[in-house]
Amino acid sequence: MNAVSVENYLVVGAVLFTLGLIGFIVRRNLIILFLCAEMMLQGVALNFVAFARYHGNLQGQAMVLFLIAIAACEAAIALALILMLYRRKKSLDVSVWQQMHESGWQPSEEEEPLPPPPPPEPLPHLPPAGIEPPRKEEPTHV
Amino acid sequence: MFSPLFAASEPDLLTPLAGLLWLIPTLPLLAAVLLALLGSVVRQWSHWLSVAAIGAAFVVSVLVFVPLYGAIHTLHEDGNHVPPLVVQSYYPWIQVEPGKAGLGLGAGVDIGLALRVDALTAMMLLMINFIAALIALYSAGYMHGDPGYARFFAAVSGFVAAMNLLVMADNFVVLYAGWEGVGLCSYLLIGFWYSKPTAADAARKAFLVTRLGDVGLFLGILMLWYGTGSLTYDVVFAKLQEGGLSEPFLLTAALLVFAGAAGKSAQFPLHVWLPDAMEGPTPVSALIHAATMVTAGVYLVARCTPLFMLVPAAQLTVAVLGGFTAILAALIALTQSDLKRVLAYSTLSQLGYMFLGLGCATMAGGPELVKLAVVAAVFHLFTHAFFKALLFLAAGSVMHGMGHVIDMQRFSGLRQVMPLTHATFLVGALTLAGFPLLSGFWSKDEILAAVQQASETGSYGASTYFLLLVLAIVTAFLTAFYTFRAYFLTFWGPLRVPAEADHAHGEQGHGDHGHGHGHEKKHIERDSAHPKASYESPAVMTVPLVVLAVFALGVGALLAGPHTLKAVKGLSFAHFVEATPGLPTDAAPHQYNLNLMLLSSGVALLGIALAYLLYVVQPSLPGQLARSLGVLYQLSRDKFYLDELYHIVFVLPLQGLAQLLATLDRHGVDATLRAAATAPHWLGQVFRPMQNGLVQFYALAMVLGLTVFLLALVRSL
Repeated sequence: MNAVSVENYLVVGAVLFTLGLIGFIVRRNLIILFLCAEMMLQGVALNFVAFARYHGNLQGQAMVLFLIAIAACEAAIALALILMLYRRKKSLDVSVWQQMHESGWQPSEEEEPLPPPPPPEPLPHLPPAGIEPPRKEEPTHV
Repeated sequence: MFSPLFAASEPDLLTPLAGLLWLIPTLPLLAAVLLALLGSVVRQWSHWLSVAAIGAAFVVSVLVFVPLYGAIHTLHEDGNHVPPLVVQSYYPWIQVEPGKAGLGLGAGVDIGLALRVDALTAMMLLMINFIAALIALYSAGYMHGDPGYARFFAAVSGFVAAMNLLVMADNFVVLYAGWEGVGLCSYLLIGFWYSKPTAADAARKAFLVTRLGDVGLFLGILMLWYGTGSLTYDVVFAKLQEGGLSEPFLLTAALLVFAGAAGKSAQFPLHVWLPDAMEGPTPVSALIHAATMVTAGVYLVARCTPLFMLVPAAQLTVAVLGGFTAILAALIALTQSDLKRVLAYSTLSQLGYMFLGLGCATMAGGPELVKLAVVAAVFHLFTHAFFKALLFLAAGSVMHGMGHVIDMQRFSGLRQVMPLTHATFLVGALTLAGFPLLSGFWSKDEILAAVQQASETGSYGASTYFLLLVLAIVTAFLTAFYTFRAYFLTFWGPLRVPAEADHAHGEQGHGDHGHGHGHEKKHIERDSAHPKASYESPAVMTVPLVVLAVFALGVGALLAGPHTLKAVKGLSFAHFVEATPGLPTDAAPHQYNLNLMLLSSGVALLGIALAYLLYVVQPSLPGQLARSLGVLYQLSRDKFYLDELYHIVFVLPLQGLAQLLATLDRHGVDATLRAAATAPHWLGQVFRPMQNGLVQFYALAMVLGLTVFLLALVRSL
């Protein structure tokens, strides 16, 4: 079995990173953005591991262990933030958050708006209390 | 540090004095600070703090005066002529070693916070604190119910503190501090009713015009320091006696000091502020603009006699300006219809008299003349303080009763409804007019005698002094005439009372003691059962009036009385003041000039008689006279158009210059700056679209930036 050379790992890492970067820039869903960021992180982690093996020491691997721990924390915080953002606007679209612009700047138009959120479920209509609701006649089987 | 220096031979008598000196300026200052801080708490009880502090300062002044009097008395009996002096040094304020003053000046600077008392200072202290205490008491009635009650008393206390500091200073810098302090309090009190535009303008005018003189005083002090290397009175005067300074140098220094005195004491050409200063409350006019502050200039020149007596040309200038101011102000006072303005011009005129007297103190007439002239001026200062404060307070009482109307055309015959005010005003008017044997007569006669002696020296300027003597006698006649014109117009003739007076009374009758400044109250009909309802002021105002009237009548006797009457064996005022350090020590006693006395009482009686004739016997005559004199009458009524002249000569060009500079500033300097400020604005416009709030745009920008950076990095490797 041929030993896989370090270049192969680096190429895979670079592909992962670039995919993540492109996804981060072009997608608008907050969760997808977060996943893309994770993907870039993993691309970098892969580089670390590849070089660790290439140099024959454990420094890169140790770094990756930290990286994973940090990524876990990041996931917890980011998902919590996304949840709060969603509760504010009932949307995961990143382009609804444009307040941090210069005054007088027109917010960019949405060319492909996300589907509007579904209308809330109508509340159940209850008859006035104390009156027996009408019931369907049920055939009795004696 | 606390080591009093004694020039006197009897230190035992004077030792207890030194420990008390600091109390005299500090007590009123304490009252001023407390009132300024707690004014909103103490409110209508403010006057007690003020009266108590000034009264205590007066008591301390008496405690200081008594041993000093004793010391001078002893010295006088022994024939020893070393005048007593107490100096108490508290704090070395500014000290520069010789040669380190910079600018290549060799002299050092040693200014200590030191207080001194000698005969002249003790006399001033007694007069200032006595009159100030009475006026503070009077103000309690006059200012009752004013919204700025506490502020008024804070400023009055501050004024008394500064004035005490001024006369107790031992060097020119402390004197200058007191000098500016009284100027500040004067400004605050003239503009006391600051919402009235005329009062605010008058306050500003007073401050600016006196400032013009103060600059001169400051330069004069600097010149004296440059010439003598010291700022302490005694050192400076001793150096001046030694000689060695050129005549032009001394003349310039003396004239600069006199400029300060002329500004503060409102002498021509800096006299324009004093009549306008009557916008302030009347007790202020009495205290500051008649009795005390305006005499600070006279005090300064009297204090600097050792300088002035060396320069006959400066003395001639002082005498000429004084004499000219005296007659100019007297001519203006003839036609004014505002009672307070008549008194203000009369103050100007009397201050001119004092400077005329001081201006006679030249060594050309020998040390005797110097002594006579200084004593005459200082004695006139002393008596004038009493009778002019009395006249102003009586005028204030009239104003109080007449609902703040002061135009003599709107009331008359008040002697029936204000008996006490009438009596005290009459006393003041007689004294001012120089009625024989009253205090004004003695002091005015002293000045005339001094001028007459100066005209007989036969040396430099003797003929000018003779001309000034004639002018002074004419002024005495005019003084008697305009004083009694005001008196007859106000208190004689049919009883007429302005409507405002009834307003004020209606309010008082209902327990509201407001003055009705701008109050629009309905006219309250007077009770028909009391057709001559008394408009007399409350006792808190009339008691000070009576006390001052007694003193105005009596202080004239102090000039020679205690010495002449063998039974009393006291020191006369003249002998007391003569014992001031710096005055010539060897001089023979002065003899009275009976001819001059007869002449001056003659013109005074003539003036009173003429006023009686014109304003009581033939009330239609003044109008006819005014019409026939046309231009002259207008000149006098409009104050010889001096205010207008100053407006054209000084105010308008300066306003034009200010306008020009404002235009330059707005369209030159500001425009350039604004142009420079637009560049960053435009640069910002370019980069503003980058800040669009889109997270992904930011991410893209970051990626691109990083890429460019990395590419550059890689290429450079």
